[in-house]
Amino acid sequence: MMIKFFLRVFFLCVVSALALPSYAQSGAGADPRSLIDALSKADFGEAEKLIGQLAATGDARLVPALNAFSEGDLYFRKSDNLVFIGKSAGSNYELIDPVTGASAGQAAKNAVTKIKINNSLRRVIRSAMGGLTLLSPDRGVRLQAADAVLRSPSAENLELLETAISKETDGEVKARMVEARAVSLLSSDRSVDEKRAAIQTIKNYGGRNAIGILMGASASLDPSLKADVDAAIASIESGQRLWDIGQNVWYGVSLGSVLLLAAIGLAITFGVMGIINMAHGEMVMLGAYSTFVVQQVIRDSAPGLFDWSLAIALPVAFLVTGAVGFVIERGVIRFLYGRPLETLLATWGVSLILQQTIRSIFGPTNQEVGNPSWMSGSFPVGGMTITWNRMWIIAFSLSIFVALLVVMKKSSFGLNMRAVTQNRRMASSMGIKTPWVDAFTFALGSGIAGIAGVALSQIDNVSPNLGQSYIIDSFMVVVFGGVGNLWGTLVGALSLGVLNKFLEPSVGAVLGKILVLVLIILFIQKRPRGLFALKGRAVEA
Amino acid sequence: MTFKSKLGGALLAAVMSTTALQGAFAADDTIKIGVLHSLSGTMAISETTLKDVMLMLVAEQNKKGGVLGKKLEAVVVDPASDWPLFAEKARQLISKDKVAAVFGCWTSSSRKSVLPVFEELNSILFYPVQYEGEESSRNIFYTGAAPNQQAIPAVDYLAKEEGVKRWVLAGTDYVYPQTTNKILKAYLMSKGVAESDIMINYTPFGHSDWQTIVSDIKKFGSAGKKTAVVSTINGDANVPFYKELGNQGIKAEDIPVVAFSVGEEELAGLDTKPLVGHLAAWNYFQSVDADVNAEFIKEWKAFTKNDKRVTNDPMEAAYIGFNAWVKAVEAAGTTNTDAVLDSIIGVSVPNLSGGTSTVMPNHHITKPVLIGEIQADGQFDIVQETAPVVGDEWSDYLPDSKNLISDWRKPMSCGNFNVASGKCGGKGS
Amino acid sequence: MISGFVFRALEGRIVAAVGILLAIGILVPALNLLTPPDSALHIPTYVMSLFGKYLCYALLALALDLVWGYCGILSLGHGAFFALGGYAMGMYLMRQIGSRGVYGNPILPDFMVFLNWKELPWFWYGFDWFVFAMVMVLVVPGLLAFVFGWFAFRSRVNGVYLSIITQAMTYALLLAFFRNDMGFGGNNGLTDFKDILGFSVQADGTRAVLFFMSALMLSLCLILASAIVRSKFGKVLVGVRDAESRVRFLGFRVENIKLFTFVVSAMMAGIAGALFVPQVGIINPGEFAPANSIEVVVWTAVGGRGTLIGPIIGAILVNGGKSFFTGAFPEIWLFALGGLFIAVTLFLPKGIVGTIQHGFKARKALKAAAEAEKGRGGTETVAQAQAAE
Repeated sequence: MMIKFFLRVFFLCVVSALALPSYAQSGAGADPRSLIDALSKADFGEAEKLIGQLAATGDARLVPALNAFSEGDLYFRKSDNLVFIGKSAGSNYELIDPVTGASAGQAAKNAVTKIKINNSLRRVIRSAMGGLTLLSPDRGVRLQAADAVLRSPSAENLELLETAISKETDGEVKARMVEARAVSLLSSDRSVDEKRAAIQTIKNYGGRNAIGILMGASASLDPSLKADVDAAIASIESGQRLWDIGQNVWYGVSLGSVLLLAAIGLAITFGVMGIINMAHGEMVMLGAYSTFVVQQVIRDSAPGLFDWSLAIALPVAFLVTGAVGFVIERGVIRFLYGRPLETLLATWGVSLILQQTIRSIFGPTNQEVGNPSWMSGSFPVGGMTITWNRMWIIAFSLSIFVALLVVMKKSSFGLNMRAVTQNRRMASSMGIKTPWVDAFTFALGSGIAGIAGVALSQIDNVSPNLGQSYIIDSFMVVVFGGVGNLWGTLVGALSLGVLNKFLEPSVGAVLGKILVLVLIILFIQKRPRGLFALKGRAVEA
Repeated sequence: MTFKSKLGGALLAAVMSTTALQGAFAADDTIKIGVLHSLSGTMAISETTLKDVMLMLVAEQNKKGGVLGKKLEAVVVDPASDWPLFAEKARQLISKDKVAAVFGCWTSSSRKSVLPVFEELNSILFYPVQYEGEESSRNIFYTGAAPNQQAIPAVDYLAKEEGVKRWVLAGTDYVYPQTTNKILKAYLMSKGVAESDIMINYTPFGHSDWQTIVSDIKKFGSAGKKTAVVSTINGDANVPFYKELGNQGIKAEDIPVVAFSVGEEELAGLDTKPLVGHLAAWNYFQSVDADVNAEFIKEWKAFTKNDKRVTNDPMEAAYIGFNAWVKAVEAAGTTNTDAVLDSIIGVSVPNLSGGTSTVMPNHHITKPVLIGEIQADGQFDIVQETAPVVGDEWSDYLPDSKNLISDWRKPMSCGNFNVASGKCGGKGS
Repeated sequence: MISGFVFRALEGRIVAAVGILLAIGILVPALNLLTPPDSALHIPTYVMSLFGKYLCYALLALALDLVWGYCGILSLGHGAFFALGGYAMGMYLMRQIGSRGVYGNPILPDFMVFLNWKELPWFWYGFDWFVFAMVMVLVVPGLLAFVFGWFAFRSRVNGVYLSIITQAMTYALLLAFFRNDMGFGGNNGLTDFKDILGFSVQADGTRAVLFFMSALMLSLCLILASAIVRSKFGKVLVGVRDAESRVRFLGFRVENIKLFTFVVSAMMAGIAGALFVPQVGIINPGEFAPANSIEVVVWTAVGGRGTLIGPIIGAILVNGGKSFFTGAFPEIWLFALGGLFIAVTLFLPKGIVGTIQHGFKARKALKAAAEAEKGRGGTETVAQAQAAE
């Protein structure tokens, strides 16, 4: 039935003037419009064939249609089974002709049906689009096309790639195309020598993907090439090994920076002020919810500012959580100075109330906090992959650390703060308003927990339970590093992070975490006051 | 005075006991049902929704005139994600509040905790969540999916449609993933997958740092064979997992992830654009194109007064369980446990995917299996729907349970009948 | 000597408390078993098992009070000892199921069968024997406390540091017990118990006996704790709490004193856990959660630490409140609970019992001062009043 249909299409349709003769094979001459319309009745298998034929037309005008298909924006009109690109416009869809790009009026949502797509179709489309756009005048599009062909190589694109390489002038694009050609060549019926050269090319590019490509291809290759493949894989792997260690250190540092973020507010409220602040996690959570609210407002009123949402959320979160911290200090904690263990109970109560408040206001489910575009995706560094969000979080946590250090050591407020915590009565005699210094110190610690929440909202759930999952780790970091010492918190967080990441591959995530806890317990036996212990008489009290 | 203080304590204790003792004297014209879902603690995130669904269903039923001419009354309690508290609250619902049936629990631990209570006090529990199977109690109805109603069809889909040859089974380290993965491993190996092509990985609850594991998956996936991840990662850990996947550039076209615990509700907390194409297997998606579903979604949004609230699979399971109970009570003409247990087997009620679900003699139900791909709007695009599948309580892929069946109809009335030895009670021989 | 030790323990207040406990221990089961269900005096089984649970919690709070209130060690990990005791009992109960499990395997518990375990792990051996299991209820928590305390107290880890590492301990155990590979049933824990010493755990009679046992063990532990506190050793203990260095300089081995108390307390917590498990019917790693241990601290603080009766009252009161609020006002009970903690720390820093005692003492001191104006010996009376605390 389908074949008949295609035959009819074949005979009826005008040959596309743009089709490249070099690779216009079976589908040559098929009218792209009819091919696309056939999608309305095709199942996944048939659609795959149709896409192959569309690609074979070589018609670059089809790129928007294919792109729309892979994004799930292709619809057919129920009345006449014609296929269009649909753009949501209120309660209707605006229909666009898939070939010419001309508007085809509007249709009610129930008058059209979405054409189904799945992953394997998306792969076929990606490869087809790669082929269609390899000769695009736009450099960025060509680079994407080369990437697409590289990711889903097929022997059919080989000749096209070779044409493209010969015309290519841009170095980076050309390199990518050469790699893509080598990969595509492995699955073609070219000579053994050409394939051997291709294996060398792939080896020279290296990386994890190259291993995958070689291993995948090795089964179908000529037996005489097996040695070459094995040698290439071994060589890539030995180069990769060092990078793997570097990658692991990076993961560790990145985990450490998250721990640092979570713990740094606590290093003030607990470390400096001596309050066992069980509500610390809830401050982090409030910061994350502030981010959510800020993003919500931005989405509703100024979507253009979305990439700035985190920058706006930072001061908001700092002020909100700082204010909450201030209220907690004035309302509860100031009555409890000198009774540190009782602050534990009161702040535990505070944390329950805060959790339930948030649950009552926002509901118990996760809230969506979006990543701005500059925090999405990753970039390669040699054999390592660095994700942008981790990268920014490391930078962010270190800058908070530095800022805090400056406030503590260089500002007059920091001086007052240290004076009050070291010797309250003496500080008071010198005219320092100790109650206010206490209140603002606690507010500062809470505020910093709040901005940590802004960052953590980027990698974790934003739910009322957010704080609970960090509170224990935070205490471990502060105690491990040494109470009352900011540097201790930094070193503690980073070393726990790296240690965790080096244990994880060998013993698994669960056991790794248990071992870290046991090591902390043992370490405290050795150094009962943490890594960087405060010296002097004040400690004994 | 010292004695007075003690007296005070004793008095307080006595007051406590009398408050506990004044059982709410049920008015004769109402039938009470219990709702046993955590409203606080770690599980509140998932379970609160189900409490709301139950309240909605009760309200709807009362609008239709209730059951047996009496109004329904929901008794809501909060077991606070604390497993022993589940048992205590179940006991309270049954003995003090005299509820006719209980709808509740989410985790297997909570179900295991209340199971002896329901058997001892002979009451009925409807359990609406997918679970690992390997259980069939006379007093519990499992309206969520058993592994064969979720995991196996999903794996079949990946193998057939995506040509997957290499499998990562990633899960949270607890009983459901362990069992499901054991079943899947046995199933895959029976289909000729080599052991070296299966990677099993477990992480702790609430795991939030997925960098290493995602890069391990990437490494495992670069062996030249099409690779997929079968995820039994639980609840909260999913958001950071998917975020890391998106950021490390693992696209669904390269390494698809099929999840059994990720539904509309979980995705509501995520920007799903980088996740388009990853899969989930359930028995219901909000995007199901059926009139009964559209009606349900409308009611739900009206009930919660929130246009953005989504529906999900456990909600459908609660819906089926509730309607099956109502139908069974009406057939039996009483809420008496034994009568309802007899009349409910074979009851067919509409499910939300446009078909009907039948309560089977093994206390599981029939449901179609839907495979959906995540869309940019947080919904699922259904790529495959099977015919209704009967929940298999005793998996055929575990050596010790493959000979067991469950049939609660008389005269067998047995939850673990061994077909090899012909005896009830596990091994038999 | 022993009789003197015990005799000292039986100060008026303790005698009265033990009396009340034993009366409850007998009366409640009797009212449950002997009165018809429709009688006004009848206590339903569910109320009895609820109170049984409270009694176990009370024992746990008492154990914590011994180390915190009298020795100054704030343990944020007492839930771990409680859970270990519970697991020891749970393992015995699991073995008693025998071939009545769903798979009918006479040796292996169900969770091992469906996860394909071939034989019983070595640490499960012996648990089919009640006496062995009961010994383990004491030995396992005691041993953990001994090892942990031996290291910690020797290194002079104290104050907040000690609290945090006890929390690390229970957290590590939580993660470990969650693992299925550990062989303790993973997060589902041990459940679906059938009988204990041949009696069905679900029978009302068994429940009644368990309830009585809880009351009895609580009474015995109360007497033991009282004896310890009131002995010469107890005075040193309070000394360690209030001025550790001074006690050390006086020539006492502070670490041994702490270690002994810590181990005794851990064993008490283990007993509480062992009694808890058959009454609630499940033990799982949730009991190791750090939040649970913090709650125990809260009960103790609410009731009044440093008084032996206080933690018992605190545990019963807070848990009673929790049971009531989670049923009556499920949406707002966390506000009530949180508010209670704050209110108690702010307004009743000595806890309920502590505050009542304090008020009583203040009045007595006032009276004494008034008398002193008339005659002599005022200071002595105040000193006596303080000693009586």
